[in-house]
Amino acid sequence: MGRTSAPRFVVVGLLLLAGVGACRLEAPEREEAGRRAEETGFRGRVIENPGPRPDFVLNDARGGTFDLREETEDRLALLFFGYTHCPDVCPIHMSSIAEVKRDLGLEFGRSTSVIFVTVDPARDTPERLVSWLGGFDPEFVGLYGDPAKIDSIQLALGLPPAMVPEAGAAAYDVGHASAVVAFPPGDSIRVMFPHGTRQEDWRHDLATLAALGGSE
Amino acid sequence: MTWWCSARGTAWDWTWQAYPGVWLFIGLLAVGYLALAHRAAAAGDDPVDGRRRATFFGGLAILWLALDWPIGALGAGYLASVHMVQFLMIALLAPPLMLMGLPRGVYTRLGERRRAVAALRFVTHPLIALAVFGVVVYWTHLPGVVDVLMVTQAGSFALDLVWLLGGFVFWWPVVAPVPERPGFPAGLKMGYLFLATVINTLPYAFLTFGDLPFYGLYELAPPVSGITTRQDQQIAGLLMKMGGGVILWTAITILFFRWFQQEDAGSTEAGSTAGGAG
Repeated sequence: MGRTSAPRFVVVGLLLLAGVGACRLEAPEREEAGRRAEETGFRGRVIENPGPRPDFVLNDARGGTFDLREETEDRLALLFFGYTHCPDVCPIHMSSIAEVKRDLGLEFGRSTSVIFVTVDPARDTPERLVSWLGGFDPEFVGLYGDPAKIDSIQLALGLPPAMVPEAGAAAYDVGHASAVVAFPPGDSIRVMFPHGTRQEDWRHDLATLAALGGSE
Repeated sequence: MTWWCSARGTAWDWTWQAYPGVWLFIGLLAVGYLALAHRAAAAGDDPVDGRRRATFFGGLAILWLALDWPIGALGAGYLASVHMVQFLMIALLAPPLMLMGLPRGVYTRLGERRRAVAALRFVTHPLIALAVFGVVVYWTHLPGVVDVLMVTQAGSFALDLVWLLGGFVFWWPVVAPVPERPGFPAGLKMGYLFLATVINTLPYAFLTFGDLPFYGLYELAPPVSGITTRQDQQIAGLLMKMGGGVILWTAITILFFRWFQQEDAGSTEAGSTAGGAG
């Protein structure tokens, strides 16, 4: 019994060690986000001294117009350009932000605006925008407007304008910028959250961003 | 050509996809079984009866279902809950059926090979087998492992293979007659299976009660249904605990009734012998 049980315990020990070793495995994107957090304090990509947030007015899907500077003054604004038929990036971003917004509580929700600007106005009617965004969070704001104006806003932010296929096809995909741009109160920095940002990263950064430049 | 289900990163649609690697794998197992059955018949062993054959092919069918489209594809890259269903099918359901369906002659011949018996005695010793199963359960559910392996076909194949082999090792001492383990009776087998229900508690707790998505792969996968990533993860955790529990407790119940029947038959026999003698 004693002679044979020793190797067994060695094997069991080795197996357990292998399990513990595997805990240290991490996907490369996680390491990159961790490195960014060590360097800047944020897991998103920080742009220093970016200047004030863009000054534009677009149509609000719930009616009326939406003036970004006026409506989001002293608030954390998360701006994203996408479309509701998007199969991946847009619903993933919206879902992640909605989940984390719920986690961070009412106070965070009151001081934050999430703004979704459609780059596919042909299919994204105001009703569809409201209904689609409402599936994530009824407080999310849906905007639409002249595509040329939306392109120029994106270019000013350093984002590539959307590539919408020629009219005619019933179902099509739109090439568009995949980053959410965060404007904290005070606009001292700007943070870009690319596709692939995890909820853990959102939670880490958003609470800090909402508190930046807050009323002392 | 996509040989094995892995995360594709593209939007899910219900268009059927071919995975020839899965067919080849299942086909090889089926052909291997038929060859073993043929050899057993040629060697004059007991013929493989229909029930044994059905048991093996039932296990193989479960394995095929778990690996092929749509379960394989959904589990590989879209839903953690379906990934968990795959784990249950590959590691907990298919292996015992396949082992129980093997021709008797296979075990007989295996029992005649001293080295094979010694190796099996060591690897499938309940303590080792339980440790192997525990490491397989923990290791293959770690985010670092899932997120890294499932994005390639080779990695996804490796994970499926680890589940299957881990399942064979885990179930071997419970269902396989070789090597004989007189010191591991039905009562201990039931305890062994009960411990397995305890092993999956930690991953279940992480998945079910974690307040953030565990796996980047499923968190950032194109959405498939109306459920959120966190709900999907909670379902995965519950499936691990409850689905795994149902399988293991079913096995415990079967073992209990078999053991009870044997004890009953034994006492009846002893009673009649005593009566005859008196």
